[in-house]
Amino acid sequence: MDITSHTHHISQQYNIELEAIRTHLSEMGGMAQRQVNDAIQALIDADIERAEQVVRADIGVNNMEVTIDEECVRILARRQPAASDLRLVIAVTKAITDLERIGDEASKIARQAIAMHKDGLAPRGYIEVRHIGGHVSRMLQDALDSFARLDLDMALTVVQTDRVVDMEYSTAMRELVTFMIEDPRSITRVLNIMWSLRALERIGDHARNLAQYVIYLVNGEDVRHANLEAIEENVHPRDE
Amino acid sequence: MTPVAAADALDAQPIKLEVKNLDLYYGNKRALNSVNMKIPEKKVTAFIGPSGCGKSTLLRCFNRMNDLVDACRIEGEILLEHTNIYDPKVDVAELRRQVGMVFQKPNPFPKSIYENVAYGLRLQGVKSKRVLDEVVEESLRGAALWDEVKDRLHDNAFGLSGGQQQRLVIARAIAIEPEVILLDEPASALDPISTLKVEELINELKNKYTIVIVTHNMQQAARVSDYTAFMYMGDLVEHDLTDTLFTNPSKKQTEDYITGRYG
Amino acid sequence: MKNLTRRKTGWFASGAPWIWLNAGAMAASLVMVIGIVGLIAVRGFGHFWPADILETTVVHRDGQQQKIMGEFVREEIIAASVARDGGYQVEDGKELLSRYLIKLGNRDVSGRDFVWFMEMGMGEWTYPSDAIVVERREWGNFYGFPLAIQEGDKTIVEVTGASFWDELDRRVTRALELHAQIHRIEKTDIGRINRAMDELRLERRRLELKGVTRERLVIADAEFAERRAVLEQRYSQVKQDRDEILLLAKRDKLHVRTADGKNITIPLDNIVRVTRPNTMGVFTKAGQYVERFWEFMTDEPREANTEGGIFPAIFGTITMVLVMSIIVSPFGVLAAIYLREYARDGTMLKIIRISVYNLAGVPSIVYGVFGLGFFVYTLGGNIDQLFYPESLPSPTFGTPGLFWASLTLALLTLPIVIVSTEEGLTRIPSSIRQGSLALGATKAETLWKVVVPLATPAMMTGLILAIARAAGEVAPLMLVGVVKLAPSLPIDGNFPYIHLDQKIMHLGFHIYDVGFQSPSVEAARPLVYATALVLVLLIIVLNITAIRIRNNLREKYRSASD
Repeated sequence: MDITSHTHHISQQYNIELEAIRTHLSEMGGMAQRQVNDAIQALIDADIERAEQVVRADIGVNNMEVTIDEECVRILARRQPAASDLRLVIAVTKAITDLERIGDEASKIARQAIAMHKDGLAPRGYIEVRHIGGHVSRMLQDALDSFARLDLDMALTVVQTDRVVDMEYSTAMRELVTFMIEDPRSITRVLNIMWSLRALERIGDHARNLAQYVIYLVNGEDVRHANLEAIEENVHPRDE
Repeated sequence: MTPVAAADALDAQPIKLEVKNLDLYYGNKRALNSVNMKIPEKKVTAFIGPSGCGKSTLLRCFNRMNDLVDACRIEGEILLEHTNIYDPKVDVAELRRQVGMVFQKPNPFPKSIYENVAYGLRLQGVKSKRVLDEVVEESLRGAALWDEVKDRLHDNAFGLSGGQQQRLVIARAIAIEPEVILLDEPASALDPISTLKVEELINELKNKYTIVIVTHNMQQAARVSDYTAFMYMGDLVEHDLTDTLFTNPSKKQTEDYITGRYG
Repeated sequence: MKNLTRRKTGWFASGAPWIWLNAGAMAASLVMVIGIVGLIAVRGFGHFWPADILETTVVHRDGQQQKIMGEFVREEIIAASVARDGGYQVEDGKELLSRYLIKLGNRDVSGRDFVWFMEMGMGEWTYPSDAIVVERREWGNFYGFPLAIQEGDKTIVEVTGASFWDELDRRVTRALELHAQIHRIEKTDIGRINRAMDELRLERRRLELKGVTRERLVIADAEFAERRAVLEQRYSQVKQDRDEILLLAKRDKLHVRTADGKNITIPLDNIVRVTRPNTMGVFTKAGQYVERFWEFMTDEPREANTEGGIFPAIFGTITMVLVMSIIVSPFGVLAAIYLREYARDGTMLKIIRISVYNLAGVPSIVYGVFGLGFFVYTLGGNIDQLFYPESLPSPTFGTPGLFWASLTLALLTLPIVIVSTEEGLTRIPSSIRQGSLALGATKAETLWKVVVPLATPAMMTGLILAIARAAGEVAPLMLVGVVKLAPSLPIDGNFPYIHLDQKIMHLGFHIYDVGFQSPSVEAARPLVYATALVLVLLIIVLNITAIRIRNNLREKYRSASD
């Protein structure tokens, strides 16, 4: 599939409409990305102003979901898209849901930052936040890029990275629980960090979903809930 | 693996019509290139493609209506359940009794509704009024037209609306109980409601007959057919389950055509 | 406000002149048609109205005066110089004068029928109430005054008697009945005997031709003689009966006097009708009008076609047109079906088609010559040799007759039927044919069950045009079958009931004959109009019938393209 193929319809108006939802998706993705990065930074830097800004900006993300959704419904009603166009519209409608959730999770992280300002900084966990946050941020970046470029390899990388993120998240959780057991006074503060880590893990999952939509879009295969081996087989069939 | 059931795949179906290496020439111009195709039994197969791609030509091969065109010459075989319909021993009239056709523009005879439906039967020598009455009623019911015309069976067929005329023609075709029904853009001359009624009818008819339909309207092909064949400039480009072809076609040409990128 | 008025102004630009031109041509054509039909109608219909009898005195060239009586035909204005040159005394100073054409009748008395009289010296025109006109079988009309009715030598009643007119009526009616009886005996009974005798002769000839032995011939002759004797006896019996009736018929006589005093006797047997037109009111005249018109249509002609009726001509025309239709329809239709449906495209087909179209342009007299040469002499001669050798040298089919006339006209009109039928077949949309074929019909079944019924209106049109053309053709018929006077009708009660070898009379030819070959132009002129009127009416009736049949068929088989 060719990234410019969406612009080659006989109906110019149709081209414009499809281009629009892709562009808006990218915009929304960019917004979500900024939310995530800002939230992580606010948490690490204990920057309350930034955190509050993130919370406020979530409305924008939600609005974009509604707008793009409307555009997609309109295309379905009027154009009866087929094949790749159909998959594009379906993929976009699913993607914006995930992006909106990502926005929500970013908000949650920001709120944790605010809470920690009140409750006091956590003794441990920032390293993990930085580390996992880095992964997740890159995952989101790659997912959005692969959507824009319809790059299957990049999408596969995202799916693979999610595995790593999940493992690191489990490790981090175990460590923090151990820490909490050792120092019960720090429980509240550590919990805050743990919620944040959990939000980051969720963001990772959503980014992985985005990558799966890219695979669906390009290959026509629905790879949700398939295991990694199956996905790898799909992207790189063994007999190629 | 594809989410579609393996049993529905084209290769697993019992085959009614098989086209083998069919070449068709109008004079020196080749209109069909080595077409190989299997039409499954008791399913609806749609032929789609741009104008001049050969879909109507191929359809008209199935009941040898192309014989009427002097300059038309074919090479290859078409098997109707293992009998080559182009075998010299085959009686064309008998073939056409088993492979019926409905045309784009409704063409009822200028006779009464009853006589239109009974025409095929009378050709076969059926004279008994009781039998004729029975078959006429059954066919009109089968074509979803009985209720609308049962009180005026002996009125001239031209008094019916376009959609009714087309359904009458379908009734006329099914009255002689063919095995295959060929439909050449049957709804293109009809208004949307009549079109939907005809599509509904096709849906019911496939329980008894193998149906092949040529259509310009891709959404119609998508609505109505189980299998779709995409043709382009005399070649059979892709032939697959309709669901597959319309969500994830394997050839770029097909994709370009059905998404409207073909231009 | 949007300007919606017409941009190009001016009467010419609006296209109105063309509409006027078209309408004008249409109106002119209509006027011409109505004019001709009207002229024929007025002159033709007018012929039967009983005219009043006028009586007047005239002065001849030599100064002699004479009383005359008759019907006024017409008036003419001539230059006085012409009259003077003719020897008439005309006053000086007169430039123009009138002369009058009077039908005097009484050809057996005066030797003249229609005479011109100058206006000079002409007396007052009176219309005596007891003047009679007697329509006779010989010598035409008589105009004069009745004197008495005689039976044999006895005078039954005089004109002064009260019962004269009733008696005259009664006796004339009886005379007509007797005449009809005689006619019947002669035509039917004697005719049958004559035919039987003729058959004997033919039988003997047949035996001769077969080449039987002399002994056989002698035996046969004896048998024939016997049968002939029987016939002759029957003949004499019938003849006797007839003679008796004839005697009865000839017994009554009518004494009459001409206007200028000559007395003559008219046997009632010779009388067709006696009337007193001067005493008849409008209704009586109308009644007589109908009677005379009816006679015209149903009687046989008399006096070399200048009097009597034209029934044989009507009958002959209709019979011939019918036989022609029966011949031309199947051939024309089947030929057209072959040309359109079965023949393969190619040069041959084009040539055939061009030939067919060109046939329509051949002058009809050429068809007559062809018919005479090929049909009559060649075909007819051969048929005679094969099937009617006993009649030779008297030809049966080797001579012009009904069949050859119809066949020639069928040939003439064949291209018309072919072209019309082909047109009809072409107009049937191929979707109907394909629909039938797709249901498993063979080409033949499609043709005969679907296509031909749809083309029937076109075939009828072709037939209508053919009839219209054929009914009016005269030139070829003169060569191949039509005569001035035919002895009998082509369809009668004798086996084989329709005699294709007989000659017939024909309305068109009758017009020609009456108009140009008759001894008296003036007597013939009104008949020409009347016959022309009948011919036009006949064609109109034929056409309207065919058109109605076609319209019915058109309704029934209304095609999708309508």
